[in-house]
Amino acid sequence: MMTGKRLVLAACLVALAQIGFLSWMIAGRAAILRNGLEVLLRVEPIDPRDLLRGDYVRLGYEIRQVPVRLIENAPAGEFVTEEDVIYVRLGRDADGYWRARSASLAAPPTRAPGPGEVDIRGRVAQGWTLRPDSSVNVDYGIDRYYVPEGAGKAIEADMRERPFGILAAIGADGTAQIKALLDGERILFSEPLY
Amino acid sequence: MVSYASRLRRDISRWVAAGLIDAATGDAILRDVDAHERGALSFGTILAVMAALLVGAAILVFVAANWEAIPRLARVGTLFLIIAGGHVAGAVLKLRGDAIIAEAVWLVAAAAFGGAIALIGQMYHLSGDETEAVLVWCAGTALAAALLRSGPLTVAATGLATFWLFARGVGFWRPGDFPHLFVAVAAGLWAISHWTESVVARHFLVMSTVLYATLLGAEYEVTPVAITLGALCVLLFGLAVVFPGELERVVHLDGLLPVHCLLGFLVAMVMLQIEIGDESGSGFAVAAALAFAGIGGAIVLAGRESRSLRWLAYLGFAVELCLVYSVMIGSMLGTAGFFLAAGLLLGLTALVIIRIERNIGRPAGMSEEAAR
Repeated sequence: MMTGKRLVLAACLVALAQIGFLSWMIAGRAAILRNGLEVLLRVEPIDPRDLLRGDYVRLGYEIRQVPVRLIENAPAGEFVTEEDVIYVRLGRDADGYWRARSASLAAPPTRAPGPGEVDIRGRVAQGWTLRPDSSVNVDYGIDRYYVPEGAGKAIEADMRERPFGILAAIGADGTAQIKALLDGERILFSEPLY
Repeated sequence: MVSYASRLRRDISRWVAAGLIDAATGDAILRDVDAHERGALSFGTILAVMAALLVGAAILVFVAANWEAIPRLARVGTLFLIIAGGHVAGAVLKLRGDAIIAEAVWLVAAAAFGGAIALIGQMYHLSGDETEAVLVWCAGTALAAALLRSGPLTVAATGLATFWLFARGVGFWRPGDFPHLFVAVAAGLWAISHWTESVVARHFLVMSTVLYATLLGAEYEVTPVAITLGALCVLLFGLAVVFPGELERVVHLDGLLPVHCLLGFLVAMVMLQIEIGDESGSGFAVAAALAFAGIGGAIVLAGRESRSLRWLAYLGFAVELCLVYSVMIGSMLGTAGFFLAAGLLLGLTALVIIRIERNIGRPAGMSEEAAR
Protein backbone atom coordinates (compact mmCIF):
# COMPACT_ATOMS: atom_id res chain seq x y z
CA MET A 1 0.00 0.00 0.00
CA MET A 2 1.26 3.42 -0.85
CA THR A 3 1.72 5.92 1.92
CA GLY A 4 -0.43 9.02 1.99
CA LYS A 5 2.04 11.59 0.79
CA ARG A 6 3.32 9.41 -2.02
CA LEU A 7 -0.14 8.68 -3.40
CA VAL A 8 -1.12 12.36 -3.50
CA LEU A 9 2.25 13.13 -5.09
CA ALA A 10 1.66 10.40 -7.68
CA ALA A 11 -1.78 11.88 -8.43
CA CYS A 12 -0.26 15.33 -8.93
CA LEU A 13 2.36 13.80 -11.21
CA VAL A 14 -0.29 12.08 -13.35
CA ALA A 15 -2.31 15.28 -13.63
CA LEU A 16 0.83 17.25 -14.49
CA ALA A 17 1.93 14.75 -17.13
CA GLN A 18 -1.51 14.59 -18.78
CA ILE A 19 -2.15 18.33 -18.70
CA GLY A 20 1.43 19.00 -19.80
CA PHE A 21 1.01 16.75 -22.80
CA LEU A 22 -2.30 18.38 -23.76
CA SER A 23 -0.81 21.87 -23.38
CA TRP A 24 2.11 20.82 -25.57
CA MET A 25 -0.39 19.72 -28.23
CA ILE A 26 -2.18 23.06 -28.04
CA ALA A 27 1.06 25.06 -28.05
CA GLY A 28 2.31 23.22 -31.14
CA ARG A 29 -0.86 23.91 -33.08
CA ALA A 30 -1.03 27.54 -31.95
CA ALA A 31 2.59 28.01 -33.06
CA ILE A 32 1.74 26.84 -36.58
CA LEU A 33 -1.23 29.22 -36.65
CA ARG A 34 0.95 32.09 -35.43
CA ASN A 35 4.10 31.54 -37.47
CA GLY A 36 3.08 29.34 -40.38
CA LEU A 37 3.03 30.53 -43.96
CA GLU A 38 -0.51 31.21 -45.17
CA VAL A 39 -1.81 29.41 -48.24
CA LEU A 40 -5.28 29.52 -49.80
CA LEU A 41 -6.60 26.14 -50.91
CA ARG A 42 -9.64 25.31 -52.99
CA VAL A 43 -12.10 22.79 -51.58
CA GLU A 44 -15.20 20.88 -52.48
CA PRO A 45 -17.38 19.12 -49.90
CA ILE A 46 -17.93 15.47 -49.08
CA ASP A 47 -20.29 14.72 -46.15
CA PRO A 48 -20.53 15.74 -42.49
CA ARG A 49 -20.94 14.34 -38.93
CA ASP A 50 -18.72 12.45 -36.58
CA LEU A 51 -20.19 10.85 -33.49
CA LEU A 52 -17.48 11.76 -31.03
CA ARG A 53 -16.39 15.09 -32.40
CA GLY A 54 -19.60 16.86 -33.36
CA ASP A 55 -20.58 18.52 -36.58
CA TYR A 56 -17.98 19.00 -39.22
CA VAL A 57 -17.72 19.55 -42.91
CA ARG A 58 -15.47 17.19 -44.76
CA LEU A 59 -13.24 19.02 -47.13
CA GLY A 60 -12.06 17.61 -50.41
CA TYR A 61 -9.01 19.64 -51.37
CA GLU A 62 -8.10 20.30 -54.94
CA ILE A 63 -4.49 19.49 -54.02
CA ARG A 64 -5.64 16.09 -52.73
CA GLN A 65 -4.95 14.63 -56.16
CA VAL A 66 -1.25 14.79 -56.91
CA PRO A 67 -0.31 13.64 -60.43
CA VAL A 68 2.36 10.96 -60.38
CA ARG A 69 4.44 12.84 -62.97
CA LEU A 70 4.96 15.59 -60.34
CA ILE A 71 6.60 13.16 -57.89
CA GLU A 72 10.33 13.70 -58.32
CA ASN A 73 11.44 10.48 -56.68
CA ALA A 74 8.65 8.08 -57.68
CA PRO A 75 10.27 4.65 -57.20
CA ALA A 76 11.12 3.12 -60.55
CA GLY A 77 9.88 -0.41 -61.03
CA GLU A 78 7.16 -0.12 -58.39
CA PHE A 79 3.56 -0.28 -59.57
CA VAL A 80 1.76 0.99 -56.47
CA THR A 81 2.63 3.26 -53.55
CA GLU A 82 3.64 2.09 -50.13
CA GLU A 83 2.15 3.96 -47.18
CA ASP A 84 4.51 6.91 -46.79
CA VAL A 85 4.98 10.57 -46.01
CA ILE A 86 4.84 12.84 -49.01
CA TYR A 87 5.89 16.48 -49.34
CA VAL A 88 3.97 18.47 -51.91
CA ARG A 89 5.45 21.75 -53.08
CA LEU A 90 2.71 24.35 -53.46
CA GLY A 91 2.93 27.50 -55.51
CA ARG A 92 0.56 30.43 -55.69
CA ASP A 93 -1.44 30.79 -58.92
CA ALA A 94 -2.83 33.99 -60.44
CA ASP A 95 -6.33 33.35 -58.99
CA GLY A 96 -4.88 33.39 -55.46
CA TYR A 97 -5.21 29.65 -54.83
CA TRP A 98 -2.16 27.49 -54.18
CA ARG A 99 -1.63 24.37 -56.24
CA ALA A 100 0.84 21.49 -56.42
CA ARG A 101 4.04 22.20 -58.39
CA SER A 102 6.03 19.11 -57.53
CA ALA A 103 6.16 16.41 -54.87
CA SER A 104 8.61 14.15 -53.14
CA LEU A 105 8.12 10.92 -51.21
CA ALA A 106 9.60 10.36 -47.73
CA ALA A 107 11.72 13.56 -47.63
CA PRO A 108 11.19 17.16 -48.76
CA PRO A 109 12.29 17.98 -52.33
CA THR A 110 16.03 18.58 -52.59
CA ARG A 111 15.69 22.10 -54.03
CA ALA A 112 14.66 24.61 -51.36
CA PRO A 113 11.27 26.26 -51.96
CA GLY A 114 11.52 29.54 -53.88
CA PRO A 115 9.57 32.71 -53.13
CA GLY A 116 5.81 32.08 -53.33
CA GLU A 117 6.36 28.37 -52.69
CA VAL A 118 5.97 26.13 -49.65
CA ASP A 119 6.17 22.43 -48.89
CA ILE A 120 3.12 20.83 -47.25
CA ARG A 121 3.44 17.43 -45.63
CA GLY A 122 0.84 14.71 -46.13
CA ARG A 123 0.47 10.96 -46.16
CA VAL A 124 -0.10 8.78 -49.14
CA ALA A 125 -1.84 5.49 -48.47
CA GLN A 126 -0.72 2.14 -49.75
CA GLY A 127 -1.91 0.95 -53.13
CA TRP A 128 -2.20 4.02 -55.37
CA THR A 129 -1.08 3.20 -58.84
CA LEU A 130 2.19 4.83 -59.95
CA ARG A 131 1.47 5.00 -63.67
CA PRO A 132 2.73 8.35 -65.02
CA ASP A 133 -0.73 9.40 -66.23
CA SER A 134 -2.48 8.69 -62.90
CA SER A 135 -2.47 10.55 -59.62
CA VAL A 136 -2.13 9.59 -55.95
CA ASN A 137 -4.46 10.69 -53.18
CA VAL A 138 -2.78 12.64 -50.38
CA ASP A 139 -4.15 13.10 -46.85
CA TYR A 140 -2.92 16.34 -45.27
CA GLY A 141 -4.74 15.77 -41.97
CA ILE A 142 -6.88 18.88 -42.49
CA ASP A 143 -9.90 17.44 -44.23
CA ARG A 144 -12.38 18.26 -41.48
CA TYR A 145 -13.79 21.59 -40.50
CA TYR A 146 -15.74 21.53 -37.23
CA VAL A 147 -18.64 23.96 -37.22
CA PRO A 148 -21.06 24.85 -34.43
CA GLU A 149 -23.69 22.13 -34.03
CA GLY A 150 -26.30 22.27 -36.79
CA ALA A 151 -24.39 24.53 -39.19
CA GLY A 152 -22.66 21.75 -41.13
CA LYS A 153 -25.46 20.91 -43.55
CA ALA A 154 -26.06 24.53 -44.62
CA ILE A 155 -22.40 25.15 -45.36
CA GLU A 156 -22.14 21.90 -47.20
CA ALA A 157 -25.17 22.76 -49.36
CA ASP A 158 -23.59 26.14 -50.24
CA MET A 159 -20.34 24.43 -51.07
CA ARG A 160 -22.01 22.41 -53.77
CA GLU A 161 -22.89 25.60 -55.62
CA ARG A 162 -19.70 27.66 -55.52
CA PRO A 163 -16.04 27.20 -54.69
CA PHE A 164 -15.04 27.47 -51.05
CA GLY A 165 -11.59 28.09 -49.74
CA ILE A 166 -9.51 27.11 -46.77
CA LEU A 167 -6.85 29.43 -45.50
CA ALA A 168 -4.21 27.16 -44.01
CA ALA A 169 -0.99 27.84 -42.15
CA ILE A 170 1.98 25.63 -42.99
CA GLY A 171 4.51 25.05 -40.22
CA ALA A 172 8.25 24.78 -40.72
CA ASP A 173 8.07 20.96 -40.90
CA GLY A 174 5.24 21.07 -43.45
CA THR A 175 2.40 20.41 -41.01
CA ALA A 176 -0.76 22.14 -42.18
CA GLN A 177 -3.24 23.80 -39.87
CA ILE A 178 -6.63 25.26 -40.85
CA LYS A 179 -6.85 28.99 -40.21
CA ALA A 180 -10.12 30.04 -41.79
CA LEU A 181 -13.02 28.80 -43.89
CA LEU A 182 -13.91 31.09 -46.79
CA ASP A 183 -17.00 31.26 -48.96
CA GLY A 184 -15.46 32.76 -52.08
CA GLU A 185 -13.89 35.98 -50.81
CA ARG A 186 -15.92 36.11 -47.59
CA ILE A 187 -14.46 34.65 -44.37
CA LEU A 188 -17.09 32.42 -42.71
CA PHE A 189 -15.12 31.26 -39.68
CA SER A 190 -11.67 32.19 -38.65
CA GLU A 191 -9.69 30.45 -35.98
CA PRO A 192 -8.37 32.06 -32.81
CA LEU A 193 -4.98 30.89 -31.64
CA TYR A 194 -6.47 29.10 -28.65
CA MET B 1 -24.94 -13.00 -9.30
CA VAL B 2 -24.89 -14.55 -5.87
CA SER B 3 -21.51 -14.19 -4.28
CA TYR B 4 -19.52 -17.13 -3.02
CA ALA B 5 -19.88 -15.93 0.56
CA SER B 6 -23.66 -15.75 0.49
CA ARG B 7 -23.93 -19.14 -1.18
CA LEU B 8 -21.60 -20.60 1.40
CA ARG B 9 -23.61 -18.97 4.19
CA ARG B 10 -26.72 -20.81 2.97
CA ASP B 11 -24.86 -24.10 2.68
CA ILE B 12 -23.31 -23.77 6.12
CA SER B 13 -26.63 -23.09 7.82
CA ARG B 14 -27.95 -26.23 6.13
CA TRP B 15 -24.91 -28.26 7.23
CA VAL B 16 -25.24 -26.99 10.78
CA ALA B 17 -28.94 -27.84 10.79
CA ALA B 18 -28.15 -31.31 9.46
CA GLY B 19 -25.53 -31.80 12.15
CA LEU B 20 -22.66 -32.20 9.67
CA ILE B 21 -20.65 -29.45 11.37
CA ASP B 22 -21.21 -27.59 14.62
CA ALA B 23 -22.19 -23.93 14.80
CA ALA B 24 -18.73 -22.84 16.01
CA THR B 25 -17.02 -24.41 12.99
CA GLY B 26 -19.59 -22.81 10.70
CA ASP B 27 -18.92 -19.38 12.19
CA ALA B 28 -15.17 -19.88 11.91
CA ILE B 29 -15.46 -20.82 8.22
CA LEU B 30 -17.64 -17.80 7.49
CA ARG B 31 -15.27 -15.44 9.28
CA ASP B 32 -12.38 -16.84 7.28
CA VAL B 33 -14.25 -16.42 4.00
CA ASP B 34 -15.26 -12.85 4.86
CA ALA B 35 -11.66 -12.02 5.67
CA HIS B 36 -10.27 -13.52 2.48
CA GLU B 37 -12.89 -12.83 -0.10
CA ARG B 38 -11.49 -10.09 -2.28
CA GLY B 39 -12.34 -8.48 -5.55
CA ALA B 40 -15.96 -9.56 -5.37
CA LEU B 41 -18.07 -7.04 -7.23
CA SER B 42 -20.46 -5.58 -4.73
CA PHE B 43 -23.60 -3.76 -5.77
CA GLY B 44 -22.07 -0.48 -4.64
CA THR B 45 -18.93 -1.01 -6.73
CA ILE B 46 -20.96 -1.70 -9.83
CA LEU B 47 -23.10 1.40 -9.29
CA ALA B 48 -20.01 3.54 -8.64
CA VAL B 49 -18.31 2.34 -11.84
CA MET B 50 -21.51 2.84 -13.83
CA ALA B 51 -21.85 6.35 -12.42
CA ALA B 52 -18.24 7.08 -13.38
CA LEU B 53 -18.80 5.77 -16.90
CA LEU B 54 -21.93 7.91 -17.26
CA VAL B 55 -20.17 11.06 -16.09
CA GLY B 56 -17.26 10.21 -18.38
CA ALA B 57 -19.64 9.73 -21.32
CA ALA B 58 -21.30 13.05 -20.46
CA ILE B 59 -17.92 14.77 -20.71
CA LEU B 60 -17.20 13.16 -24.07
CA VAL B 61 -20.61 14.00 -25.53
CA PHE B 62 -20.38 17.54 -24.16
CA VAL B 63 -17.14 17.95 -26.07
CA ALA B 64 -18.71 16.44 -29.17
CA ALA B 65 -21.56 18.95 -29.11
CA ASN B 66 -19.05 21.71 -29.95
CA TRP B 67 -21.15 24.14 -27.92
CA GLU B 68 -20.01 27.63 -28.83
CA ALA B 69 -21.72 29.34 -25.89
CA ILE B 70 -18.71 28.53 -23.72
CA PRO B 71 -15.41 29.78 -25.15
CA ARG B 72 -13.17 26.91 -26.14
CA LEU B 73 -10.42 27.97 -23.78
CA ALA B 74 -12.92 27.75 -20.92
CA ARG B 75 -13.87 24.26 -22.08
CA VAL B 76 -10.25 23.18 -22.19
CA GLY B 77 -9.70 24.75 -18.76
CA THR B 78 -12.69 22.88 -17.32
CA LEU B 79 -11.33 19.58 -18.60
CA PHE B 80 -7.88 20.40 -17.19
CA LEU B 81 -9.54 21.10 -13.84
CA ILE B 82 -11.38 17.78 -13.95
CA ILE B 83 -8.15 15.96 -14.81
CA ALA B 84 -6.19 17.60 -12.00
CA GLY B 85 -9.03 17.64 -9.47
CA GLY B 86 -10.11 14.11 -10.27
CA HIS B 87 -6.70 12.55 -9.82
CA VAL B 88 -5.91 14.41 -6.60
CA ALA B 89 -9.40 14.04 -5.11
CA GLY B 90 -9.29 10.33 -5.91
CA ALA B 91 -5.97 10.00 -4.07
CA VAL B 92 -7.36 11.81 -1.01
CA LEU B 93 -10.51 9.67 -1.05
CA LYS B 94 -8.41 6.53 -1.29
CA LEU B 95 -6.37 7.58 1.73
CA ARG B 96 -9.55 8.22 3.67
CA GLY B 97 -10.62 4.65 2.95
CA ASP B 98 -13.21 5.27 0.22
CA ALA B 99 -11.38 3.05 -2.25
CA ILE B 100 -14.33 2.43 -4.55
CA ILE B 101 -15.34 6.07 -4.89
CA ALA B 102 -11.67 6.95 -5.41
CA GLU B 103 -11.44 4.54 -8.34
CA ALA B 104 -14.66 5.94 -9.81
CA VAL B 105 -13.31 9.50 -9.60
CA TRP B 106 -10.07 8.40 -11.28
CA LEU B 107 -12.11 6.86 -14.10
CA VAL B 108 -13.86 10.20 -14.60
CA ALA B 109 -10.47 11.92 -14.74
CA ALA B 110 -9.32 9.39 -17.36
CA ALA B 111 -12.44 10.13 -19.43
CA ALA B 112 -11.68 13.84 -19.13
CA PHE B 113 -8.18 13.20 -20.53
CA GLY B 114 -9.73 11.45 -23.54
CA GLY B 115 -12.29 14.24 -23.88
CA ALA B 116 -9.53 16.84 -23.85
CA ILE B 117 -7.69 15.07 -26.67
CA ALA B 118 -10.90 15.04 -28.70
CA LEU B 119 -11.55 18.70 -27.88
CA ILE B 120 -8.09 19.76 -29.04
CA GLY B 121 -8.63 17.75 -32.20
CA GLN B 122 -11.84 19.69 -32.69
CA MET B 123 -10.33 23.08 -31.84
CA TYR B 124 -7.65 22.71 -34.45
CA HIS B 125 -9.72 20.72 -36.95
CA LEU B 126 -7.36 17.78 -36.79
CA SER B 127 -8.44 14.96 -39.02
CA GLY B 128 -5.33 12.89 -38.59
CA ASP B 129 -5.40 9.42 -37.25
CA GLU B 130 -8.12 8.83 -34.65
CA THR B 131 -6.49 5.57 -33.69
CA GLU B 132 -3.41 7.53 -32.64
CA ALA B 133 -5.61 9.65 -30.37
CA VAL B 134 -7.02 6.49 -28.79
CA LEU B 135 -3.49 5.18 -28.27
CA VAL B 136 -2.43 8.42 -26.59
CA TRP B 137 -5.51 8.21 -24.38
CA CYS B 138 -4.53 4.64 -23.54
CA ALA B 139 -0.97 5.70 -22.69
CA GLY B 140 -2.18 8.49 -20.39
CA THR B 141 -4.57 6.13 -18.64
CA ALA B 142 -1.89 3.45 -18.29
CA LEU B 143 0.47 6.01 -16.75
CA ALA B 144 -2.21 6.96 -14.24
CA ALA B 145 -2.89 3.28 -13.51
CA ALA B 146 0.79 2.60 -12.85
CA LEU B 147 1.46 5.66 -10.71
CA LEU B 148 -1.75 5.40 -8.69
CA ARG B 149 -1.64 1.62 -8.61
CA SER B 150 -5.24 1.41 -9.74
CA GLY B 151 -6.85 -1.80 -10.99
CA PRO B 152 -9.88 -0.17 -12.67
CA LEU B 153 -7.62 2.27 -14.54
CA THR B 154 -5.54 -0.69 -15.74
CA VAL B 155 -8.72 -2.29 -17.05
CA ALA B 156 -9.69 1.00 -18.73
CA ALA B 157 -6.27 1.28 -20.39
CA THR B 158 -6.55 -2.33 -21.55
CA GLY B 159 -9.99 -1.63 -22.98
CA LEU B 160 -8.62 1.38 -24.88
CA ALA B 161 -5.69 -0.67 -26.18
CA THR B 162 -8.09 -3.35 -27.38
CA PHE B 163 -10.30 -0.77 -29.06
CA TRP B 164 -7.23 0.74 -30.70
CA LEU B 165 -6.16 -2.71 -31.91
CA PHE B 166 -9.60 -3.40 -33.32
CA ALA B 167 -10.06 0.01 -34.96
CA ARG B 168 -6.60 -0.12 -36.47
CA GLY B 169 -6.77 -3.79 -37.41
CA VAL B 170 -10.04 -3.58 -39.33
CA GLY B 171 -9.43 -0.06 -40.68
CA PHE B 172 -12.39 1.29 -38.69
CA TRP B 173 -11.66 4.91 -39.57
CA ARG B 174 -9.24 4.54 -42.42
CA PRO B 175 -6.86 1.92 -43.72
CA GLY B 176 -3.42 2.10 -42.14
CA ASP B 177 -0.44 0.08 -41.12
CA PHE B 178 -1.15 -3.10 -39.21
CA PRO B 179 -0.96 -2.44 -35.44
CA HIS B 180 2.09 -4.58 -34.66
CA LEU B 181 2.79 -2.17 -31.83
CA PHE B 182 0.04 -3.97 -29.92
CA VAL B 183 2.52 -6.61 -28.79
CA ALA B 184 4.57 -3.95 -26.99
CA VAL B 185 1.47 -2.21 -25.65
CA ALA B 186 0.11 -5.50 -24.32
CA ALA B 187 3.45 -6.38 -22.71
CA GLY B 188 3.55 -3.01 -20.96
CA LEU B 189 -0.03 -3.31 -19.74
CA TRP B 190 0.67 -6.86 -18.61
CA ALA B 191 3.49 -5.60 -16.43
CA ILE B 192 1.31 -2.80 -15.07
CA SER B 193 -1.49 -5.27 -14.33
CA HIS B 194 0.87 -7.25 -12.09
CA TRP B 195 1.86 -4.10 -10.25
CA THR B 196 -1.78 -3.03 -9.84
CA GLU B 197 -2.91 -6.61 -9.11
CA SER B 198 -5.63 -6.44 -11.73
CA VAL B 199 -6.64 -9.94 -12.79
CA VAL B 200 -9.49 -8.57 -14.90
CA ALA B 201 -7.04 -6.56 -17.01
CA ARG B 202 -4.94 -9.69 -17.58
CA HIS B 203 -7.99 -11.67 -18.71
CA PHE B 204 -8.79 -8.87 -21.16
CA LEU B 205 -5.19 -8.79 -22.35
CA VAL B 206 -5.07 -12.49 -23.07
CA MET B 207 -8.31 -12.26 -25.01
CA SER B 208 -7.17 -9.25 -26.99
CA THR B 209 -3.96 -11.09 -27.83
CA VAL B 210 -6.14 -13.77 -29.42
CA LEU B 211 -7.94 -10.95 -31.26
CA TYR B 212 -4.55 -9.66 -32.40
CA ALA B 213 -3.70 -13.08 -33.79
CA THR B 214 -7.04 -13.23 -35.60
CA LEU B 215 -6.48 -9.82 -37.18
CA LEU B 216 -2.91 -10.78 -38.01
CA GLY B 217 -4.16 -13.85 -39.83
CA ALA B 218 -6.75 -11.84 -41.71
CA GLU B 219 -4.15 -9.22 -42.68
CA TYR B 220 -1.42 -11.57 -43.84
CA GLU B 221 -1.96 -15.29 -44.13
CA VAL B 222 -4.44 -17.26 -42.08
CA THR B 223 -2.97 -20.74 -42.10
CA PRO B 224 0.47 -20.17 -40.52
CA VAL B 225 -0.94 -17.74 -37.93
CA ALA B 226 -3.78 -20.10 -36.99
CA ILE B 227 -1.44 -23.09 -36.72
CA THR B 228 1.01 -21.14 -34.55
CA LEU B 229 -1.79 -19.85 -32.32
CA GLY B 230 -3.31 -23.32 -32.00
CA ALA B 231 0.04 -24.96 -31.24
CA LEU B 232 0.95 -22.30 -28.65
CA CYS B 233 -2.39 -22.75 -26.95
CA VAL B 234 -2.00 -26.52 -26.82
CA LEU B 235 1.51 -26.13 -25.40
CA LEU B 236 0.41 -23.65 -22.74
CA PHE B 237 -2.61 -25.78 -21.92
CA GLY B 238 -0.37 -28.79 -21.41
CA LEU B 239 1.97 -26.79 -19.18
CA ALA B 240 -1.00 -25.43 -17.22
CA VAL B 241 -2.29 -28.95 -16.64
CA VAL B 242 1.06 -30.46 -15.68
CA PHE B 243 2.39 -27.54 -13.62
CA PRO B 244 -0.75 -25.70 -12.52
CA GLY B 245 0.77 -24.11 -9.43
CA GLU B 246 4.02 -22.98 -11.04
CA LEU B 247 2.32 -21.45 -14.05
CA GLU B 248 -0.31 -19.72 -11.95
CA ARG B 249 2.47 -18.09 -9.94
CA VAL B 250 3.81 -16.64 -13.18
CA VAL B 251 0.63 -15.53 -14.93
CA HIS B 252 -1.79 -14.96 -12.02
CA LEU B 253 -4.96 -15.63 -13.96
CA ASP B 254 -7.14 -17.10 -11.21
CA GLY B 255 -6.25 -20.54 -12.57
CA LEU B 256 -8.14 -19.76 -15.77
CA LEU B 257 -5.17 -20.12 -18.13
CA PRO B 258 -6.52 -23.42 -19.53
CA VAL B 259 -9.80 -21.67 -20.38
CA HIS B 260 -7.96 -18.97 -22.30
CA CYS B 261 -5.89 -21.63 -24.06
CA LEU B 262 -9.02 -23.48 -25.10
CA LEU B 263 -10.55 -20.24 -26.38
CA GLY B 264 -7.41 -19.42 -28.37
CA PHE B 265 -7.27 -22.95 -29.73
CA LEU B 266 -10.91 -22.87 -30.81
CA VAL B 267 -10.45 -19.48 -32.48
CA ALA B 268 -7.43 -20.88 -34.33
CA MET B 269 -9.39 -23.92 -35.49
CA VAL B 270 -12.35 -21.81 -36.64
CA MET B 271 -9.92 -19.52 -38.52
CA LEU B 272 -8.42 -22.55 -40.23
CA GLN B 273 -11.79 -23.98 -41.15
CA ILE B 274 -13.11 -20.70 -42.52
CA GLU B 275 -9.91 -20.29 -44.52
CA ILE B 276 -10.08 -23.81 -45.91
CA GLY B 277 -13.86 -23.46 -46.34
CA ASP B 278 -15.51 -25.82 -48.74
CA GLU B 279 -12.42 -26.37 -50.80
CA SER B 280 -12.32 -29.97 -51.81
CA GLY B 281 -9.81 -32.07 -49.96
CA SER B 282 -9.43 -33.32 -46.44
CA GLY B 283 -8.04 -30.12 -44.88
CA PHE B 284 -11.37 -29.04 -43.47
CA ALA B 285 -12.12 -32.46 -42.04
CA VAL B 286 -8.70 -32.60 -40.39
CA ALA B 287 -9.16 -29.16 -38.82
CA ALA B 288 -12.66 -30.07 -37.61
CA ALA B 289 -11.40 -33.36 -36.18
CA LEU B 290 -8.59 -31.48 -34.43
CA ALA B 291 -11.09 -29.05 -32.95
CA PHE B 292 -13.29 -31.85 -31.62
CA ALA B 293 -10.25 -33.68 -30.30
CA GLY B 294 -9.10 -30.47 -28.59
CA ILE B 295 -12.48 -29.94 -26.97
CA GLY B 296 -12.63 -33.54 -25.79
CA GLY B 297 -9.05 -33.45 -24.56
CA ALA B 298 -9.62 -30.20 -22.69
CA ILE B 299 -12.64 -31.63 -20.88
CA VAL B 300 -10.82 -34.84 -19.95
CA LEU B 301 -7.65 -33.06 -18.79
CA ALA B 302 -9.00 -29.98 -17.05
CA GLY B 303 -12.79 -30.18 -17.12
CA ARG B 304 -13.17 -31.56 -13.63
CA GLU B 305 -11.49 -28.59 -12.00
CA SER B 306 -13.05 -25.82 -14.02
CA ARG B 307 -16.70 -25.20 -14.66
CA SER B 308 -15.95 -22.28 -16.99
CA LEU B 309 -13.69 -24.51 -19.08
CA ARG B 310 -16.50 -27.02 -19.45
CA TRP B 311 -18.98 -24.36 -20.55
CA LEU B 312 -16.55 -22.92 -23.06
CA ALA B 313 -15.96 -26.45 -24.35
CA TYR B 314 -19.71 -26.97 -24.80
CA LEU B 315 -20.02 -23.66 -26.59
CA GLY B 316 -17.08 -24.55 -28.81
CA PHE B 317 -18.64 -27.93 -29.46
CA ALA B 318 -21.90 -26.33 -30.58
CA VAL B 319 -20.09 -23.79 -32.79
CA GLU B 320 -18.01 -26.55 -34.34
CA LEU B 321 -21.12 -28.63 -35.08
CA CYS B 322 -22.73 -25.65 -36.83
CA LEU B 323 -19.56 -24.97 -38.79
CA VAL B 324 -19.19 -28.54 -39.92
CA TYR B 325 -22.85 -28.68 -40.77
CA SER B 326 -22.82 -25.48 -42.79
CA VAL B 327 -19.83 -26.56 -44.85
CA MET B 328 -20.40 -30.27 -45.31
CA ILE B 329 -24.12 -30.88 -45.27
CA GLY B 330 -25.65 -27.43 -45.54
CA SER B 331 -25.51 -27.36 -49.29
CA MET B 332 -27.46 -30.57 -49.68
CA LEU B 333 -30.49 -30.02 -47.49
CA GLY B 334 -33.43 -27.64 -47.62
CA THR B 335 -34.83 -25.52 -44.80
CA ALA B 336 -36.80 -28.34 -43.24
CA GLY B 337 -33.72 -30.45 -43.30
CA PHE B 338 -31.81 -27.65 -41.61
CA PHE B 339 -34.32 -27.45 -38.76
CA LEU B 340 -34.28 -31.20 -38.35
CA ALA B 341 -30.51 -31.29 -38.36
CA ALA B 342 -30.30 -28.34 -35.97
CA GLY B 343 -32.73 -30.05 -33.60
CA LEU B 344 -30.76 -33.28 -33.72
CA LEU B 345 -27.44 -31.48 -33.24
CA LEU B 346 -28.82 -29.55 -30.28
CA GLY B 347 -30.17 -32.77 -28.78
CA LEU B 348 -26.81 -34.42 -29.29
CA THR B 349 -25.05 -31.48 -27.64
CA ALA B 350 -27.44 -31.61 -24.69
CA LEU B 351 -26.84 -35.35 -24.32
CA VAL B 352 -23.08 -34.88 -24.31
CA ILE B 353 -23.27 -32.05 -21.78
CA ILE B 354 -25.57 -33.98 -19.47
CA ARG B 355 -23.32 -37.05 -19.51
CA ILE B 356 -20.17 -35.05 -18.87
CA GLU B 357 -21.72 -32.98 -16.09
CA ARG B 358 -23.00 -36.15 -14.43
CA ASN B 359 -19.63 -37.86 -14.60
CA ILE B 360 -17.81 -34.81 -13.30
CA GLY B 361 -20.24 -34.30 -10.44
CA ARG B 362 -19.31 -37.75 -9.20
CA PRO B 363 -16.17 -38.17 -7.12
CA ALA B 364 -13.44 -40.01 -8.98
CA GLY B 365 -13.58 -43.78 -8.68
CA MET B 366 -17.26 -43.93 -7.73
CA SER B 367 -19.43 -46.01 -10.04
CA GLU B 368 -22.50 -44.59 -11.73
CA GLU B 369 -24.88 -46.62 -9.58
CA ALA B 370 -23.22 -45.48 -6.39
CA ALA B 371 -23.49 -41.90 -7.51
CA ARG B 372 -27.21 -42.24 -7.83
